[in-house]
Amino acid sequence: MDALIEKLKGQIIEQLNLAEVKPADINPDAPLFGDGLGLDSIDALELIVLLEKHYGIKIQNPADGKKIFESVRTMAQFIKDQGKS
Amino acid sequence: MISAIGNNVQEAYVNLSNAKSGIGKVNYLTTRYKDEYVLGEVKLSNEQLMDLIGDHSPALNRTSLLGIAAAKEALKHSGIDLKDGMRTGLISSTTVAGMCKTELFYGEMVSDGKHLEVLDAHDCGESTEEIADHLGVKDFVTTISTACSSAANAVMLGCRMIKHGMLDRAIVGGVDSLSKFTFNGFNTLMILDKEWCKPFDENRKGLNLGEAGAFIVIESEAALKKRKGKALAKVIGYANSNDAYHQTASSPDGIGATTAIKQALEMSGLSPAQIDYINMHGTGTPNNDQSESKATVNVFGNAIPKFSSTKAYTGHTLAAAAGVEAVISVLSLQNNKIFPNLNFTTPISEFGLVPVTKVTDATINNVLSNSFGFGGNCSSLVLSKV
Amino acid sequence: MGKKAYIIGSGCISPQNSTDPNYFFETVNGPDTDHFNAVEPSYKEHINPNMLRRMGRAIKMGASAARMAVTEAGVENVDAIISGTGLGCFEDSEKFLLAIINNDEQFLTPTSFIQSTHNTVGSQVALIMQCKQYNYTYVHRGFSFDSCVMDALMSIEEGKKNILIGGIEEHTPIYIELYRKAKKLNADNSHKYYEGKTKGMQMGEGSAFFVVSDEKKNAVSAIEGIGVAYKPESTEEFTEKLNSFLKSKNTDLGKTDLVLFGISGDKDHDKYLLETLPLASKNSATGYFKHLCGDHHTAGSFAMWLANKIIEKQRIPDAVKINAVPKEKINSVLIINGYIGINYSFTLLTKC
Repeated sequence: MDALIEKLKGQIIEQLNLAEVKPADINPDAPLFGDGLGLDSIDALELIVLLEKHYGIKIQNPADGKKIFESVRTMAQFIKDQGKS
Repeated sequence: MISAIGNNVQEAYVNLSNAKSGIGKVNYLTTRYKDEYVLGEVKLSNEQLMDLIGDHSPALNRTSLLGIAAAKEALKHSGIDLKDGMRTGLISSTTVAGMCKTELFYGEMVSDGKHLEVLDAHDCGESTEEIADHLGVKDFVTTISTACSSAANAVMLGCRMIKHGMLDRAIVGGVDSLSKFTFNGFNTLMILDKEWCKPFDENRKGLNLGEAGAFIVIESEAALKKRKGKALAKVIGYANSNDAYHQTASSPDGIGATTAIKQALEMSGLSPAQIDYINMHGTGTPNNDQSESKATVNVFGNAIPKFSSTKAYTGHTLAAAAGVEAVISVLSLQNNKIFPNLNFTTPISEFGLVPVTKVTDATINNVLSNSFGFGGNCSSLVLSKV
Repeated sequence: MGKKAYIIGSGCISPQNSTDPNYFFETVNGPDTDHFNAVEPSYKEHINPNMLRRMGRAIKMGASAARMAVTEAGVENVDAIISGTGLGCFEDSEKFLLAIINNDEQFLTPTSFIQSTHNTVGSQVALIMQCKQYNYTYVHRGFSFDSCVMDALMSIEEGKKNILIGGIEEHTPIYIELYRKAKKLNADNSHKYYEGKTKGMQMGEGSAFFVVSDEKKNAVSAIEGIGVAYKPESTEEFTEKLNSFLKSKNTDLGKTDLVLFGISGDKDHDKYLLETLPLASKNSATGYFKHLCGDHHTAGSFAMWLANKIIEKQRIPDAVKINAVPKEKINSVLIINGYIGINYSFTLLTKC
């Protein structure tokens, strides 16, 4: 799980072009949206593509992203639950 | 006007009156998703469009072809002779422009240096100049691109230039053809409905893209009198404002839309109660219809006029949308008819607003037409009977 | 229309060091063989990094130039944001397009599509400034920025106070390569553009923004008016359009102190301008500017920045001069611009 979290951090930074952020800056339990990394709805769509591209997981309804993308840990858990880690 | 519901205004009127949508399975756009989605395509191939306008020049792309077909019809209908010494401008708008062709050749252009002539017709201004040159407009040309409110802004600019005495009349509107570029773009935003869109329905899933060219001819009163012409309608109010909320989404409070509607109404000198019909932007996306409903309630309170979105007929034709809807609004004024909001069953629970769902006869003296776009761009027009 | 638009703030990113407030062409950057690249500032000084991460160069250049103009004007906000761009955010358009082609329409992400929309610069500036007012983007080739100027003049006439206008253009390495393959670029740097010896353009890029106002405030110059000529078919027609514009402003070619020509180095496209040059040089100082900003749809915005600077400094840089009819004062500057021989404009600025 920890390895997956670390891998995800790097992929998120790359996908969202977070040039100022280092993996160590991201607390896996901090919210990705709002206060935490300050991501928005466009980033959510980018993360959906990240899941499809790297993990073969398709999300049809963007509203589902809300729960999955709460934090890096919830994202990792979701990938694990899908059996795609 | 040329759109999914017909190659001219008369055909569109027949389909509108019969509640017959032009949205259907994909016949002309090249995309790997052609069997998964429905689109509002114009029912002619590029070759057939060339036959329609009588020009087979290979330089013409689909955007220009639709624009020329629509603008020619509008000018002919107006009865105006461009050589009568009056100053005439063409104000067009587009978002796709030459991308419909560039996207087919860019790979080969880059790898083999072939088809480089396509570059010359890539930019937005080119399609406007093709239209101007086909009509013979010389006095003024420009092009606006403010996403889905573009054509409303073209109408507004034309009115202002006439008011300022810079032009006697203007051919104003917009054109967008379907392209892989915009189709995939909207697909990445996950706001496309694979089935017919359901504007203002609680269970709406997104929009259907369409394509169209749509123009109206506006003229100063003096010029109209001088040539003893007859107007179809008057533009009596317009406004543009910005939501400044989000790059693509509209604010949940409908701030920009509320401002645009209020300012357009104020300019028209009408009270909200005098609006007989609203042609909504109503794309069918969860976000737009929520925001627009909120703005409508903000302005009209409990006394909401009859309203509908006609996007379920034509698809969302982007830069052309406000041109299409200006034409439809004029048809409503001329025929005292409201064209329905197709595919609606359940009102949005937050507002409970119910659009007109059947072709309805009603006295229509004043119409409000809304158009909102990416980047928070919000425009409203008020049209009235002559 | 009688009212002027006073220029109370400006910002310019160009192939020259124009972001340096003290710069006045002491040094000049030449082309990179057949094109010019903008000298880009450190964007972090102008734009919040969280917004910056998504922006393509056109948006960064536009938003920064707009910021500079607003800061210099010292206004809290503006009543309208009017942008002009011929190609829009081309880098993002190209990125999205190549992704479609290379991945066969799969794994596409929304960011470059959103940013590719032509009105992105105007709406990003609105978002940054929280400006909820009138917001237009003109996308008509050589008329893109001219339409902004015309709209600003109308807006002032309609009662608006402060208006932000600007032009933005960017190129990409692939786009330049395609132009090169199409033989549209000029790599011959042995002649001055105004000699009329070369063919092809030297493509440029950049962004210039201005806050124009209905009141003079600290302005050094004002836009008196703008006229356009669309595809004139003869020199007579071009000259007739130019003269009727000047007449509408109660002036003529001989009365303007400086005439700046948008000569591009393509002798065919420059035909009308090259024919007007000797007429203008009789009684006025003359200059040119596309060898400084490169040729692009909104090069006119660079010319306006230059004209305003010249009026401020009361001196014509040597790099700009063609013919130096000595003038004690530079009270008026006429910009005669052209784009690939189809879109022409005449813009008159006067000293305040």
